[in-house]
Amino acid sequence: MRGTFSKILGKYALLATLIISYLFLYLPILHIGLGSFARNHTFPYPPRWTLDTFGRLFANSLYQTAFFNSLVLGLGAAALATLLAAAATLGLMRHAGRRAGLYLTLFVAPLFVAEVLIGIASLIFNGLVLELQGNLVSAILANAVHCFSYALLIMATQLYRYDWRLDDAAMVFGASPARTFFEVTLPLIWPGLLGAFVVTFIMAFNNLEISFYLLGATPTLPSVAWGALRYGVKPELYALATAVNLVVILGLGLMFVLMLTGTATFGHRPERERAV
Amino acid sequence: MYITLDGVSRQYDSVWAVDRVTMGIGKSEFVSLLGPSGSGKTTLLRIIAGLEKPTTGRVLIDGEDVTDLPPHRRGVAMVFQEFLLFPHRTVFENLAFPLRMLKLPAAEITERVAWVVGILSLGGLEKRYPNQLSGGQQQRVALGRGLVGRPKALLLDEPLANLDRELRQEMEVEIRRHQSALGIPFIYVTHNQEEALSMSDRIAVVRKGRIEDFAARTDIYDRPKTAFIAQFVGRSNRFEGTVGAGGRSVATRCGTTLALPAPLDPARAVQLFIKNEKLRLAPADGTDASHGANRLACTVKDVILRGAYADYILAFGDRELNASRPRSERAFLSGEAVIAHLNPEDIDLYDTDGERPS
Repeated sequence: MRGTFSKILGKYALLATLIISYLFLYLPILHIGLGSFARNHTFPYPPRWTLDTFGRLFANSLYQTAFFNSLVLGLGAAALATLLAAAATLGLMRHAGRRAGLYLTLFVAPLFVAEVLIGIASLIFNGLVLELQGNLVSAILANAVHCFSYALLIMATQLYRYDWRLDDAAMVFGASPARTFFEVTLPLIWPGLLGAFVVTFIMAFNNLEISFYLLGATPTLPSVAWGALRYGVKPELYALATAVNLVVILGLGLMFVLMLTGTATFGHRPERERAV
Repeated sequence: MYITLDGVSRQYDSVWAVDRVTMGIGKSEFVSLLGPSGSGKTTLLRIIAGLEKPTTGRVLIDGEDVTDLPPHRRGVAMVFQEFLLFPHRTVFENLAFPLRMLKLPAAEITERVAWVVGILSLGGLEKRYPNQLSGGQQQRVALGRGLVGRPKALLLDEPLANLDRELRQEMEVEIRRHQSALGIPFIYVTHNQEEALSMSDRIAVVRKGRIEDFAARTDIYDRPKTAFIAQFVGRSNRFEGTVGAGGRSVATRCGTTLALPAPLDPARAVQLFIKNEKLRLAPADGTDASHGANRLACTVKDVILRGAYADYILAFGDRELNASRPRSERAFLSGEAVIAHLNPEDIDLYDTDGERPS
């Protein structure tokens, strides 16, 4: 009897921890979500429903420009970082030999520099050496620095499992190096590339600390939100946060459904190939 | 010669993985590269495939110097130990891969894949992915992918090492059959002497990057050129000793005297190998009078039943001897006293450096 009692107790303790963890994670988001649909947005309990906040958000052209700029910044930095990191990872795994550890350390070192410092350093470098004005290009370059380090780590964990001898097999059977890459290597490693791209996109899209110094007068969503704070937390900010969250949730939901129905598999994992 | 290796060497840092290898392989020959792991046999195979560049030396295939050609322009195919099927491609797509690279028309690709599916009995598996196949089926697909493009040569890198014994023996027969049907050279890397002996026309024994001997399989087994080959191919009893005063016998270190087939310089230090199956057994009571010239009084320590034959572990002084006898002969029991005897002609004799005395 004692055994079953402690088992039941353990089960409830686990359930409670689970619930508390999820509450911790999602209460702020739920609160903002509720606030964005409420007339009494600062304390929406109970909410007085309205869609005015969204109306004001979409009517404000500054937010639209900022969204578009953030999109360009995110896509640009992610593309640049993913491309460079893919080349760096391939180099590390195939050609670095015994110095791989040294190269890897240098590649991930930007992670240990405060983003504010990367921002200031990039501002000075881009201004003095590259003679770039404060604009999106300058911000993309600066964001790509720490995005590169993240992308490298994400890809390295994926590519670590890739069996490079598959490339040997492809070449022996008549595929040129380029053909080998597109026929064999890329189809097997693209989930790693995609993962790196998505994460670095989100990082650059949301970044304020680095972009702040390099954007000049170009508005992005984080910088506009930051600027708006000076005049108090306006309802538009609630709506903005909820809109972004909704997009993310819809994206994840779509991926989940696709995987559940088997429409998309998101890559072949070599470790599962050994099943038989 | 259809494939020629001319003074091929490969250096890694300060180690010569392949060291001045020169050999020629005929148009429809089955050649095995036999050696222990780390002997450089796989490196040699990868040099022929073009996956490694030789540090020095030249590789010729069908009269053409391919030393500087990348693997995809050499027209050879390979079967890997780990199969290395493309995991994101079905069996059909894996088999069609070499043909697509040859830019053959779709109809011919279908036809050729059907041919290879037929000869390897892969029917019904075309739509499966490699991870949905058993080890034996994966191995067949790997072999099929090697044969389907009708390559100039098929290189096999321990293709059977990951299969269980029964399947291995089945595949040995099959591989050999496809080789003679296609009439292209197969170069087969293995550390398994049984595989090498059962399939090859000729065997090259590789040791420390060098070819120790390259000869017909019967020569490799029956007349091993060096002590290393005698040790590595077949199973043998080894003795060390010194040639006696008359030059006709050897006093071994374990205290017995063995008669030699031919006289040698007295006082010469030598090593002797006697294959397990050359050691015959007779009861110690003398009821069997067919003893050879050399007799060793032993006690049966253990009997290991192998089916068609039995392995006897014999206590001889303070060492052990191994004898392998067919079951059709008289059986001995554990603890029984026996005479192990052998003909002087069955002794393989080498200097201490492993070469046959001149």
